[in-house]
Amino acid sequence: MILEIKNLKKVYGDKTVVNIEHVQIEQGETIGLVGNNGAGKTTFFRMLLDLIRPTEGEVLSKGENVMLKDDWKNYTASFLDEGFLIDYLTPEEYFIFIGSLHDLSVADVSAYLAQYAEFFNGEILNSGKYIRDFSKGNQNKVGIAAALMQKPEILILDEPFANLDPTTQIRLKKLLKEHPGNMTTFISSHDLNHVTDVCNRIILVEKGHVIKDFKTDENTLKELESYFSA
Amino acid sequence: MLKTFLSHQSKSFWRSRNKGSSIATQIILGFFMLYFLVLAVGAGFSMPYLLPKIFANQNVITSFNGLILYYFALDFIMRLQLQELPTLSIIPYLHLKIKRSQIISFLNVKSLFSAFNLWPFFLFLPFIFMRIAPTYGAFATIMYIIAIFSIAIFNNYLVLYIKRKTISNVLYTAVGLIIIAGFAALEYYKVISIMAASDFVFKAVALHPYIGFAFTIAAFLIFKINSDFLRKNLYTEELSSKQEKKGSTDYAFLNRFGKVGELAALELKLILRHKRSRSSVILGFFFLLYGFLFYKTPAIDGDKFGQMMFGAIFMTGVSIIIYGQFMFAWQSAHFDGLLSAKINFKDFIKAKFLLFTIASSIITLLASFYGFLSPKLLLLQLAAYLYNIGFGTVIVLYLATLNKKRLDITKAASFNYQGTSATQFLLMFPYALTPILLYVPFGMMDMPYWGLIVVAIFGLAMLLMRGFWVDVITAKFEKQRYKIAEGFRE
Repeated sequence: MILEIKNLKKVYGDKTVVNIEHVQIEQGETIGLVGNNGAGKTTFFRMLLDLIRPTEGEVLSKGENVMLKDDWKNYTASFLDEGFLIDYLTPEEYFIFIGSLHDLSVADVSAYLAQYAEFFNGEILNSGKYIRDFSKGNQNKVGIAAALMQKPEILILDEPFANLDPTTQIRLKKLLKEHPGNMTTFISSHDLNHVTDVCNRIILVEKGHVIKDFKTDENTLKELESYFSA
Repeated sequence: MLKTFLSHQSKSFWRSRNKGSSIATQIILGFFMLYFLVLAVGAGFSMPYLLPKIFANQNVITSFNGLILYYFALDFIMRLQLQELPTLSIIPYLHLKIKRSQIISFLNVKSLFSAFNLWPFFLFLPFIFMRIAPTYGAFATIMYIIAIFSIAIFNNYLVLYIKRKTISNVLYTAVGLIIIAGFAALEYYKVISIMAASDFVFKAVALHPYIGFAFTIAAFLIFKINSDFLRKNLYTEELSSKQEKKGSTDYAFLNRFGKVGELAALELKLILRHKRSRSSVILGFFFLLYGFLFYKTPAIDGDKFGQMMFGAIFMTGVSIIIYGQFMFAWQSAHFDGLLSAKINFKDFIKAKFLLFTIASSIITLLASFYGFLSPKLLLLQLAAYLYNIGFGTVIVLYLATLNKKRLDITKAASFNYQGTSATQFLLMFPYALTPILLYVPFGMMDMPYWGLIVVAIFGLAMLLMRGFWVDVITAKFEKQRYKIAEGFRE
């Protein structure tokens, strides 16, 4: 068990945005968080990353509360939104900076980025632009690639498929699927096709509560579609 | 429409996350305004009796006339420092069915609600009614009032225009300062006299009242220029800025500081790659001229360091004060990323200290040319420098942990009317008063050099305690980080 969420609650005013009693996540799982707007997905992710103080409860990463110790940062990579990018850097500078935090040399970073030539589609590297000048889709690519570069044990992505062009969506799915077995991935998405395709476990949330939590099989997509059309 | 804008404005004020501190700021400013208004009224009514005493050997009306332009010259400088640009983030309105002219006229009208536009009336009207009216008659009186009103309006829009220009181009600040300095020098060496010029102008108004309309025309012109400038710059600037190829940079000299240097380099890039922060750095160099204001020969000869302390503190610490007042908020756009990345908060804080220390050291070295005026000033500036890097940094960073207001530095500078205002001067109180309070007892006991030594030792002691302060601020930062992040996400 790599992540454990215990009685996690976030209340704004009199509205409970997240209320998750108990969820355990094993190493190597790929989990899809599915739910309509306002289900509390992003708030939940932010609490996983210690960006929001929970009203109650705790998130244990390898048994340690993320609020109390920083160790989880060594093996957790994330990309929630453009707020995670340092947008006045060139993509190269950004990758090198993130790499340096994980003690990767410039050469390591370049070698790593070489693998992503296809994913970047020739638009990111050596473009002579700052990240802020890229389109949203390309910014997403930078964020996702930087997260993957950290070789994390836990990867958290909020709506990674949004704003990506179809080709890149397919490439991203491939990347997520073939990424080494012991990485635990947490993604949220509104695209039921993609989540069921990529994930082996789906957590369905509504108004902050976990409604369903199950392993994916061939019927999952239908199940989800019927749930959301009801 | 004007009413809707005003209601949106008040909502944005009352619903902002920093409500508490902005209300406090407004109240303190309100008291200042009120105080000066009372002073203005008092001065206005006593002028007919005081002027003959102060300028015993000239006609009272001549003295009065002489004061008017003098007042407005001061008014201009004060406004330049203190008057806020009317703020309204216009972008959400631009694409709606609202005429550009309405947005502009809102900005224009709002700027008139400034105490600076009230003072001249309180100050000058009593005298005009008590002395000018009986002497020159009704028409001249009305024209006096119109002329004064017009100059106030003229100053109002001229300052706004200059401020808008300078936000987009620092060069204008330089030119403006040089012109003002030039006039001040000419007045100082008695080449020209503002008083004589002012008397000449208002004598003319008194004799040929319609001349007063010249001011009205001038005011109208600057109003027009200002509106046109606004109209033209209601576009997002990026559309017109040319695309140049951006390269990657590496600051080798920071590498020796390890992870801390890494973070400092990151911030250095932030400063250099945004117009807003870049111009505040360049502004810092202009403040090097502050010394000429504060370092007066009598003060230097009399070892009156207390009087010069503020200038020295401000000059050598300008980068800390100007950049530090928006600390952390500069990074508000990617604050979440910084928090969740593998960055030690202690390193993060240390990087800020490092950057401040480097910046302050450079400025202090540059400011040492005042040593030519008197070598004593070098001692003063050294004490001020030690205070700045030792304790000033601590004050600024501690206050930064309380700042939760997002700063949008990516927004085009001409839209970004938040910023330079009286608010930043409030930060100056604890910052500037501490060293002066340390010095004052020694100054009074006529031991000025001991005073300097005490300030220097205080700074040095704080510098040696930096490890401790880093821990204090890191702890505070850890506690506040959720709130800061939440505010920055807005």
